[in-house]
Amino acid sequence: MPVEALFGISEPGESQVKQVCKGRAVGIDLGTTNSLVAMVQAGQAVCLREGGSALLPSVVHYAADGSVIVGQRARELAFGAPRDTIASVKRFMGRGPDDAEASRALTPYRFAAGSAAEPVVRFSVAGGTREVTPMEVSAEILRVLKTRAEAELGGELDGVVITVPAYFDDGQRQATRDAGRLAGLEVMRLLNEPTAAALAYGLDKQAEGTFAVFDLGGGTFDISILKLEGGVFEVKSTGGDSALGGDDFDRAVAGHLLQSMGLPADAGGDPSVARAVLDAARRAKEALTTETETMVSVTLPLGKTWQGGLSRAELDDLVRPVLERCGPPVRRAIRDAGIAVDGLSGVILVGGATRMPIVRRFVADLFGKEPLADIDPDEVVALGAAIQADLLATGGRGDVVLMDVVPLSLGLEMMGGVTEKLIHRNTTVPCGAVQTFTTYADNQTGFDLHVVQGERELVADCRSLARFKLGGIPPMTAGMARLKVTFTVDADGILSVAAREEHTGQEASIRVKPSYGLTDDEVERMIRDSFDHANDDMGARLLAVECVEADRILGATHVALSTSADLLVEGEGKAIEAAMTTLESAKAGTNHLAIRGAIQALDEVSKEFARRRMNVALEQNVRGQALDAVEKKVTSK
Amino acid sequence: MICWSCQKAAGDGMLCVRCKAVQPPDSKADYFRVFGILTTFDVDAVDLEKRYKEMTKVLHPDRFARADPQARRASLERSVQLNEGWQILKDPVRRAEYLLSLHGIDVGEMSGVGRPGNSGEHATLPVPQVLLMEVLELREALAEAHAAKDVHETEALIAQVRGRLGKVMDDVAKGFLASPPDLSTIAARLVTVRYYRRFLDEARILWEEDAPGAKGKSGDAG
Repeated sequence: MPVEALFGISEPGESQVKQVCKGRAVGIDLGTTNSLVAMVQAGQAVCLREGGSALLPSVVHYAADGSVIVGQRARELAFGAPRDTIASVKRFMGRGPDDAEASRALTPYRFAAGSAAEPVVRFSVAGGTREVTPMEVSAEILRVLKTRAEAELGGELDGVVITVPAYFDDGQRQATRDAGRLAGLEVMRLLNEPTAAALAYGLDKQAEGTFAVFDLGGGTFDISILKLEGGVFEVKSTGGDSALGGDDFDRAVAGHLLQSMGLPADAGGDPSVARAVLDAARRAKEALTTETETMVSVTLPLGKTWQGGLSRAELDDLVRPVLERCGPPVRRAIRDAGIAVDGLSGVILVGGATRMPIVRRFVADLFGKEPLADIDPDEVVALGAAIQADLLATGGRGDVVLMDVVPLSLGLEMMGGVTEKLIHRNTTVPCGAVQTFTTYADNQTGFDLHVVQGERELVADCRSLARFKLGGIPPMTAGMARLKVTFTVDADGILSVAAREEHTGQEASIRVKPSYGLTDDEVERMIRDSFDHANDDMGARLLAVECVEADRILGATHVALSTSADLLVEGEGKAIEAAMTTLESAKAGTNHLAIRGAIQALDEVSKEFARRRMNVALEQNVRGQALDAVEKKVTSK
Repeated sequence: MICWSCQKAAGDGMLCVRCKAVQPPDSKADYFRVFGILTTFDVDAVDLEKRYKEMTKVLHPDRFARADPQARRASLERSVQLNEGWQILKDPVRRAEYLLSLHGIDVGEMSGVGRPGNSGEHATLPVPQVLLMEVLELREALAEAHAAKDVHETEALIAQVRGRLGKVMDDVAKGFLASPPDLSTIAARLVTVRYYRRFLDEARILWEEDAPGAKGKSGDAG
């Protein structure tokens, strides 16, 4: 009987810091549009600048000669070489080649054919001579920031904290960690962006109370509710949309510009036009933050130029429908935090898109109070990351501690394709859960464990994280085996799963590391769907659950009747059969309560019979027979 | 307990009394003991939160990021236990269920699929037909309100069920004060509470869908 080692929580430190010398740790905000690096100097977090600017445009250009250019210069090169210049790479992190992100309108990139062995998006660049993954592109950006930090420190970096949207799933987090490793960085921790922002506000502005962090970046929207009190930063809840951001505003404006220019919505499939229009849209959007009207000029290939005007009112009308998608996640986060909107002490703005007047007005209306923006919304995340890096590297600053949460629920697939959540979203990490399961069929000798992440009730609607098997279980009657499953999430948010069959001691475990990207805009869909279908879901779940239970009970009763007919008393068999027929017909319908009632009725009439069978089995056991011999007897009679 | 670090008696605190190394948790300790409070239903919420935060400051794995593997593991296990205990003790319903479970009574889930529940040992508590009918009627009313996008009706239903739930929980609290407490009556009440809570969860989700803005009663619904 092979016994695999139980992983359990024996090596919590593996994913965390190795021995880090103190002080040389920095925080990196790896953003969709811009990236920054910050560090704590003389007790104060500061962003490191180059040429006066802290912002490094998250744009990477791959030249045909093999050289790689990152930043502002790459952004300029994007017009001439849209396919060889990757912008907004963050939107592709941890995503598969089948992802809708890769087939969006106005995406100027060329994608290399995917392979089953490595199901990640690959960009074809450098005139088609090279293929790069989103991790590699991100690593180029990280390398530039690493160099900037090392120039400042005058030596090598010991560790970094990289920020990610709170709503990134395990696959997206893993991709970010991999990018750090590719860049030669020791990633001490991935920190959620809103949490980083709160840390910066809490420590620098001495803020206390319960705050909402409204983070609208280039490509993602995050909302977090945090309680800041006496040095403890407790994330109460988090939510968002990992495919909603300033980029979507640009696309909305670009669509309008194309229409005004009399061009088709896909820019005729010409990547140069798409890039030029998107860029004009971004510039117009930025100009309208301070102006009420702006001139837009788009330089088209072959030197033609189109010019037109755009007013702030027009811009507002274009972005409003996109902005309104922020509403539902905000409501849900407030509910999950268990507070009232009036109970918030303030709303913190993060992300470049929150500079827009319409966004500020929207936030003020949504929360009923003027938002805070004392710290530059572009820099606040990097500053918070620097503080956390410093805390980790120096082993804690007296009494400051950060308590973060699991962003999406974690669970197992049950019979009937239903998700059993073991750890609910917004549970404080580190955390664990133990649950005991049993076999569904007689003589089942193994369990297939399917670990999933998401809010929906049916497995098909959640994200698959891992599958593993626990075998070697001796044949027993259904319901006899006892499988104890333990989930553990460490402070990094990494999940470990261990399973153990209690009678035999058989064990298996896995450290969950998702290997494939999301198809379509799965996360977006997952979030939205859990609203749209909450009711269907609950009904479908209850029905599926009752049907499985009905099948189990019918099957077990059937076996019992045929193997232990001698234990039946006068009229009992008839009554049980009648109750079975009632259950069969209830099961054909869609009313879960009717099925539940019929199950209870069957349970009631067969209770005595079941007790007698149990006694017989026990007597045999007492007589000194081995457990599995009893099992064989029960099942092979 | 012998300290893993200095090999001397560690005492029974979070840290070794001698060398201050973080000690692994006692997995048999109940959550009341973890927090150092009396095993009663009547818990001072403010005091509990204060204890939770103070203990977290000491135990959080971030404080041991550079420590040796045994200390890291002890801090992780302690933190997991602490967070779990906090989730249960801060919530009156879960706290009541937990107290019953310490007496060997499992209020259990609504369904028993995939659990050992239905096969004998931990018999699932019976659900009275009257309660099933009550919840069925409430669900129908909720579905109608949702179909008609009648936010006020949904709010009225939420308020109504919350009121009923509050009354049942008052009875649960009183039940625990009696000596000796009638645990089976308390268990039956908690089954009712479970059904009400599920209803409220569903109602809140529908309310969020139908409500015009985030401002409103969403908070106190939680």
